[in-house]
Amino acid sequence: MRNARDTFYVTLRDRLAAVNPARTMVLRGVTRPGVLVEENELASAYQPVDAFCLRWTGVQVDAQGAMPLMTMTCEIRYATDGNAGNGGMDRGRLLAAMDAELVAAVGAAPQSAVKVNYAVSPAVAMGTMVFWGDVTPGSSTVNEERLERVATVEVFCYQEAGEL
Amino acid sequence: MSGSGLVGAVAPVSRRVRAYFAPVDRTAGVPVVFDAAQMGAFGLESPPAPWVDLGWCGGFARKSLTKVGVLRTGIPAIAQRQVRTEVEATVALEFESWGKLQMALAAGSQQMNLLRTVNGATANGSGGMAGAAVALMAGSTASSLNVGAAAGGFGVGDLVAVDVDYAGQVGFVGSGVSGAYVSSAAAVGGDVNYVRRISLNVGRVVSIADGVLTLGVALLAGAPAAGMQVSQLVGFVDREGGGFFHEWSGLFVMDGEQGDRVIYHYPRLQAMQGSAEIVEALAGPLERVKLAGAFRALPVKDTNDGETVLCFRSYLPGAMRTV
Repeated sequence: MRNARDTFYVTLRDRLAAVNPARTMVLRGVTRPGVLVEENELASAYQPVDAFCLRWTGVQVDAQGAMPLMTMTCEIRYATDGNAGNGGMDRGRLLAAMDAELVAAVGAAPQSAVKVNYAVSPAVAMGTMVFWGDVTPGSSTVNEERLERVATVEVFCYQEAGEL
Repeated sequence: MSGSGLVGAVAPVSRRVRAYFAPVDRTAGVPVVFDAAQMGAFGLESPPAPWVDLGWCGGFARKSLTKVGVLRTGIPAIAQRQVRTEVEATVALEFESWGKLQMALAAGSQQMNLLRTVNGATANGSGGMAGAAVALMAGSTASSLNVGAAAGGFGVGDLVAVDVDYAGQVGFVGSGVSGAYVSSAAAVGGDVNYVRRISLNVGRVVSIADGVLTLGVALLAGAPAAGMQVSQLVGFVDREGGGFFHEWSGLFVMDGEQGDRVIYHYPRLQAMQGSAEIVEALAGPLERVKLAGAFRALPVKDTNDGETVLCFRSYLPGAMRTV
């Protein structure tokens, strides 16, 4: 599962960066594409704005086939306060832009990628593919001056023999 | 991955089915045969010639109606052998997009172009008397039509049909794809535009310059042959009834998520129902209307062993999968 999660994150990160190279964030002093995996960062109550934050939630296992089929739910959280120069009055437009970027990145063909083990250096391509469905955006919520949304994507992978 | 480097084979997981069309030579009765051994790994966006992309389709449902009978002998009767008493197969699908080709195939019968009429033409369900066609000049190609000074009569966005005049031909007519069967000149009233009326050789003008109409997509029949002319059209029409059956070679591809591929090839398909739609509710009063087609497979001979068959299912396993 770890390899599949890493693969999905790296694929999504690269695609989001291609869709909108200007969406960046500074994390621990490093400027990088505006997407992170919550569980890979220091625990914090801080919700980054104008960036995508991945949170892995549900997991299901179908062990009927030759390899267990894993279904993982990835919540993608994003929020914006709008542009200060516009008094935040463009926050609806900015959230809509993030919606479009996410839909484009997740829905781009192919909706699959070779599973890669990033825990070793150099990373090693594995024998199966990670694949995912379309993004399902949830309702937007208003948190004071902030607009937030949680979208979900179902991510699938096969657990290969000996894979942890 | 096991020590052998092989990965266990799993049931294909697929999202959608991609459909492709190839014309059957109706006069000679020759379908287009797809050889999965040679062409099976083609890119979905670039099918090998002469296959034409029909786009994604949903609701893909194959049905074998083949019946297997039992030969019993003895008392009590005991099943000794089996025999195929009937061989039949159908396939149904919903097209995700509406276009000339999709409509023609799903119509179940002859599908026509609504040619732009002359002023004051008598009203007719499939379009009144069409205006005069425009002759093509030298230098036309499958995607650029040289009409010279007549280009002033066209506008960007116009739909056009490109085909020969009707001059008394009897039999299957239509360039590239047989769009109709003419039993006699009298049956079509000697309409000089009749072939363009039923032609699948259509396109949309995306630019005009120096007397040349550039089409968005190349014509199905390729570069225009001598004698072809251009008629403007406003849309398409099909009818419930009629005696014509479109026949086409069909190819349906399901790409698995693990690099595997399932290919269904029906060399000869004919519609088995009239024009129909599937309505999907979106929200409120909004509904999405999809073209629904149902087709019956007709037989071909497999030259490898002379067997009479209706369809071929090929499976291309993913790399390094157990088989």
